[in-house]
Amino acid sequence: MITVKNLYKAFDGNPVLKNISTTFEPGKTNLIIGRSGSGKTVLLKSILGLFEIDKGEIWFDNRNLVLMGEKERKILRREIGMVFQGGALFDSVSVEGNVRFPLDMFTTMSNIEKQKRVEFCLDHVNIEKIAFKLSPSEISGGMQKRVAIARAIALNPKYLFCDEPNSGLDPETATVIDQLIQALTKEFQMTTIINTHDMNSVIEIGESVLFISKGEKEWEGTKHEILNSGCQKLDDFIFANKLYTQMKKGQ
Amino acid sequence: MGFFFHIGRYFLMLKRVFARPEKHKIYIRQLFLEIDNLGVNSVWIVLIISIFIGGIMTIQFANAMENPLYPNGLVGLGTRDTLLLEFSSTILALIMAGKVGSNITSEIGTMRVTEQIDSLEIMGVNSASYLILPKIVAVVLIFPFLYILSVFFGLLGGLITGPLVNVISAPDYIEGIQWLFHPYYVFFSIIKCLFFGFLVSSVPAYFGYYVQGGALEVGKASTKAVVNTNILILFFDLILTRLLLT
Ligand SMILES: Nc1ncnc2c1ncn2[C@@H]1O[C@H](COP(=O)(O)OP(=O)(O)OP(=O)(O)O)[C@@H](O)[C@H]1O
Ligand SMILES: [Mg+2]
Repeated sequence: MITVKNLYKAFDGNPVLKNISTTFEPGKTNLIIGRSGSGKTVLLKSILGLFEIDKGEIWFDNRNLVLMGEKERKILRREIGMVFQGGALFDSVSVEGNVRFPLDMFTTMSNIEKQKRVEFCLDHVNIEKIAFKLSPSEISGGMQKRVAIARAIALNPKYLFCDEPNSGLDPETATVIDQLIQALTKEFQMTTIINTHDMNSVIEIGESVLFISKGEKEWEGTKHEILNSGCQKLDDFIFANKLYTQMKKGQ
Repeated sequence: MGFFFHIGRYFLMLKRVFARPEKHKIYIRQLFLEIDNLGVNSVWIVLIISIFIGGIMTIQFANAMENPLYPNGLVGLGTRDTLLLEFSSTILALIMAGKVGSNITSEIGTMRVTEQIDSLEIMGVNSASYLILPKIVAVVLIFPFLYILSVFFGLLGGLITGPLVNVISAPDYIEGIQWLFHPYYVFFSIIKCLFFGFLVSSVPAYFGYYVQGGALEVGKASTKAVVNTNILILFFDLILTRLLLT
């Protein structure tokens, strides 16, 4: 479980996050939604400790990130998996090499154990064996995302972060990725946080949804409550797409 | 942004680069990859350029020393000392800044803009040390070898070209290149090579590591890296020559 309390973050005096408090629960897909520029990525990177926050607390279970030294953060990071927007695969190594990288770096596993783990992770994201030796530039965007997910779960993380995991993918592939993340979250009981501005993802896997607008938390709830939230800003965000207006009428 | 900003950030980066490696085995593996990638792949260009320049210098010295009063040995001596002192160290470093330097900037810069560096940091890897240290060590190690190779093939270029275009005989040339030989010149140039190797790897790494934006910015950073490395090489050449040779 990750708990954020009264988080403030400004860049050069410009407030980007204002008094955000929320809880992200394990075994659930926790979504952060909001317009472009609303502060989703800054929130995610603040929770990860990539940005120093100005005020507030960030708890990873019973550990407060704000009070941690460099060393403790390093240890914490080994419990974190992250899927970047573009995949961020290392293009100098193969698909297999990407998943093996964290194992090489942080474990004392034997080669056979590593190989097993690599196959286990890639198998979980439905990458076929023939693609193992290919380089990231030789596989499709959707496959790259899946390999990125496999790499993120290689060390069996307790916390999984995804920054717009399905942007730039066709709707069908996007759904596959969403469902994959949800399934992995359930299987390994991870605390998963996903940034998105895709309403399809919200309807698909929005077990817990945090809506932020201009750096402020405007609404929190589940996908079942979202169409009748009574929050004007959230409605403006959702019903920018006509389809959802029809959905609301027809519901 | 100001000159001092860059200098400060450059040294901060170096501080992270020389932090203790996390896993020695992985660093050693990276080091060998970089030696292969940055060093061994540069051997051909060094050979070709050195042979040609050696040959061309021999012709030019022979032309300048046509007066029968000058001893024939001067042609070989001139070629040798130019190679030893300046060409095979400084000019070679300038060439390598173009080849190896732009390669380093674009590789690290691309990793920056595609979030691969963030990805390393999230995993808890010191990205500066992991990416840059093996490159610096590889280039610093390989430079003296390239220097020796370049001197040797430069001299060979003269030996082939001189007699071929009939400006000097092979025995005269060979006698010349052994005449008044100062071993200190080699020592001096190897010291220069170590400095230049450090510049050619660390400066482009800096420009790549802090690039912001996309592919376009990576291209621009490469150009900036090469220009700045070249200026620094010449600057250090001047200082080292003043300190060590006069
Ligand atoms: N490193 C930074 N320095 C200064 N300002 C920043 C920085 N990163 C983000 N910002 C500002 O913070 C605000 C929120 O940006 P953020 O990247 O979090 O948006 P986002 O919700 O992730 O948008 P998108 O959906 O487009 O990714 C923006 O106004 C941006 O200009
Ligand atoms: Mg974002």
